[in-house]
Amino acid sequence: MRSSFFRILVLALLIACLGVMSIYSSTYQKEGALWQDIYKRQILWLAIGLICFLLMSQFNYRRLWDMNYLLYALAVFFLFLVFVLGIIRLGAQRWLRFAWFNFQPSEFAKLAVIIFLARYFSRKSAEDISLLSGKFGIFKGIILPFIFVSVPMFLIIEQPDLGSGLMLLLVFVSLLYLTDVRLKYIFTLMALLVLPVPFFWHFLRDYQKQRLLVFMNPNIDPLGAGYTVIQSRIAIGSGGFFGKGWLSGTQSQLYFLPESHTDFIFATFSEQWGFLGSVLLLLMYYLIVRQGFIIAQRTQDSFGRLLAYGISLLFALQVFINIAMNMGLAPVVGLPLPLMSYGGSSVLITFIALGILVNIDRRRSVF
Amino acid sequence: MSFMERKNIFNILVILLFGVLCAGLVNLELLQGRKFRRLSDSNCIRLIEQAGARGNILDRNGQVIVDNMISYDVLVLPQELSRIDHVLGEVSRILDVDAGSLKAAFKNNFFSSSIPVTIASNIDLSKAILLGEYKIEEPSIIVQPRPLRHYPYGPLACHVIGYVNQIDRWRLTKLEDYGYKTKDIVGFGGVEERYDYYLRQEEGGLSVEVNHRGKFTRVLGFEPPKNGKDIKLTMELGLQKIAEEALSGRKGSVVLMDPVSGEVLAMANYPNFDPSVFVNKRARSISALFNNPDAPLINRAISSSYPPASVFKLVVASAALELKKINASTTVICKGWTMVGKRKFSCWDVHGRQDIIEAIAHSCDIFFYKAGLLLGGQNIHDYALKFGFGKATGFELPYETSGFIPSPLWRSLNKFQGWFDGDTANLSIGQGDCLVTPLQITVMTAAFANGGYLPDPHIVKAVGELDLTARKKRSLRLPFKKSTFELVRRGMRSVVSAPKGTGSALSSLPVKVAGKTGTAQVSRGATHAWFAGFFPYEKPKYVICVFLENGGPGHAATLVARRIIEEMNKQGAI
Repeated sequence: MRSSFFRILVLALLIACLGVMSIYSSTYQKEGALWQDIYKRQILWLAIGLICFLLMSQFNYRRLWDMNYLLYALAVFFLFLVFVLGIIRLGAQRWLRFAWFNFQPSEFAKLAVIIFLARYFSRKSAEDISLLSGKFGIFKGIILPFIFVSVPMFLIIEQPDLGSGLMLLLVFVSLLYLTDVRLKYIFTLMALLVLPVPFFWHFLRDYQKQRLLVFMNPNIDPLGAGYTVIQSRIAIGSGGFFGKGWLSGTQSQLYFLPESHTDFIFATFSEQWGFLGSVLLLLMYYLIVRQGFIIAQRTQDSFGRLLAYGISLLFALQVFINIAMNMGLAPVVGLPLPLMSYGGSSVLITFIALGILVNIDRRRSVF
Repeated sequence: MSFMERKNIFNILVILLFGVLCAGLVNLELLQGRKFRRLSDSNCIRLIEQAGARGNILDRNGQVIVDNMISYDVLVLPQELSRIDHVLGEVSRILDVDAGSLKAAFKNNFFSSSIPVTIASNIDLSKAILLGEYKIEEPSIIVQPRPLRHYPYGPLACHVIGYVNQIDRWRLTKLEDYGYKTKDIVGFGGVEERYDYYLRQEEGGLSVEVNHRGKFTRVLGFEPPKNGKDIKLTMELGLQKIAEEALSGRKGSVVLMDPVSGEVLAMANYPNFDPSVFVNKRARSISALFNNPDAPLINRAISSSYPPASVFKLVVASAALELKKINASTTVICKGWTMVGKRKFSCWDVHGRQDIIEAIAHSCDIFFYKAGLLLGGQNIHDYALKFGFGKATGFELPYETSGFIPSPLWRSLNKFQGWFDGDTANLSIGQGDCLVTPLQITVMTAAFANGGYLPDPHIVKAVGELDLTARKKRSLRLPFKKSTFELVRRGMRSVVSAPKGTGSALSSLPVKVAGKTGTAQVSRGATHAWFAGFFPYEKPKYVICVFLENGGPGHAATLVARRIIEEMNKQGAI
């Protein structure tokens, strides 16, 4: 259907425009050409993203089925490169430096893992064309895919980027739930994941522990780890019903709010546009997710269905966790807000993912 | 089948997640929005205060008694802390003060990098100009004029004016609701305290926006400071000077009042103080003032009470005439003493046969013992109250005392003792427990001067543009016979005009004065001296009360009065 193409395109572009406006509002007063131009770079990324979206909407998603091992291998390779470079440079980092931009492989890895899992669980038996996943035992149904997920997950958490790593895990569990894999296996896996959480505490880095403690009570460290959350809550709350108006947000424009153009862009937006603007923004995000679910439900192809669900869930979870973290409802993990936060990789991958989504809907009639 | 159920759960889950986000928004932006708005404002809005000037205090002709002098404070804006040492060094060179003291002041007063820090205060104009030139080079320096209380006449009329100082706790708890803050400068005593609300300036200031480093970004608003309202007194500067000079270092008080309107023209007290010590914060001089046993901060004219002695005889005479216990032809023979009960009461002299006019003129005690005993203690008390004794006059200045007039009823209720004729005799000559303030005596004297009206004494003519004269209480008509006042007036005139009158020292003056002297015996020290009178006799323009604490006989007060009247005459005030 063409309608889903236009709906998703219009919604995504609307949100992206609001994102550019928010990035501009929080950086235009900063000194230095880099800051002055940052919104232009975002526009450029959006333009590239748009081209990718149009391309992907024409590109038959079934060919991703064939490419899935390649994509998976590429993602792991990039993540490994980041890992090795991090060791060589003796410093944590999350991106690879290319000619004139930084590429964040974890964004790419999220999409690659979803494609990989969608294919894995939608293989059909050669005899009766039924889904294999219904007959999977615990090894094939849970353990093997978990190993495939945990390799990139480990590399991402090691970067360190706990947020993106756990995002992979969440998407994996959600997708598992959508397949025909027996529920008792899924619950076994979840129990196995949840039980050792207190044990994992010791593996967390100091700043990650700090962030979790601060999430419980931001006031234990108001000038350190708690500062961002406190300022972000002030920014959102001070917006009131109508907001302070574009370019009039004191919290973000006078730099009380750190990361006001990346992870905390929602606070920047909400301060200026108020409750009204924020609820409309949430509605737009919800409509995209809903469109994704509708596409997933009406496609006949099980690969396309899982892929659409995976993309929609990834999108929804990122939006939720980012905004919840802005409001102090979730611990601070470094997750961007899709379509709004400044960052080329995130914009590009999100548009590609949405393009795939649109393409799934377009191919519906073929199968 | 199972797939359909499972996917529905995701629909619900996503709606739930977005619902949680919406609830979070409602909580932050709608329910707690006001709180966060305030927090956001306090993040980025700073106030820089600018002081206005306290209202001036003027005399009745608009001459300045108290005004403000501009003093200069030096402040630095510590935005770039690295340069502070250099800047302080330069400032210390220009001001010719030790750089260490500037650094110490900077450290003590530093609050935030966006708020200017006071490093030196009260510098003189020439240095302020020099610093102003340096400011072109170093814009973080601010030379701020600050008005300070200035007393061009030093201690003149200090008790009427009062002084200013930092607000104390007791006043703060009382005045917080009226917008007073800690460290506010408020008035203590006198007009400064009573009319502080009108005199006090309204602070103005800049509200500026700062960023997360406290660096100034832009000016949000400017509210010019408002000066306080001027207070115009009924006091006349020339007369006040004459009165203070005449008192010349003797402990006591002089009140000069218009007998008809009740406007106080001069109110002098000694010992006095220099209010500027509170402005300059000279700690030793201030503590010396508070520890001085002579209580220089007390306004003796209204805040302390003394036995009125013979001046009180005017009350007894009026009461006796009103109640027809005596009349113009009643005479008493003064042998120098008389027996009241079993006690011998003596007069200060032997006067022979005395009628009422002679008795007032010679201040004969025997005549008034007799008159008092005819009246009885309660009657004397009642008439004293009619003349305004025993209660505050309602004068504007704070800390007025009411004085005290004893009565048989009071004695039995409070002391569980009887009232004897001896007490009546004592009260008749204004001794015993009887206590009055110089202002009360002035008001009483005014009633004889103006023919029977008790004026409402006041010293403030106008507050700002508002003329208070019309708002004053009308003079109270005393319901006495005209002949009563006439007789007592004649008696008061002969105090001065009779050759042996106690106030005959005033007879040589070119203006006809009438009055009454008093010599109050006190348990310790020399007697208090009183003179209460009015002049010119026919058409009184002034009522005067001179009181000297432990100043000797009434004659001493009469001499002070003579100096004042002479001087007033010389300056053509009469």
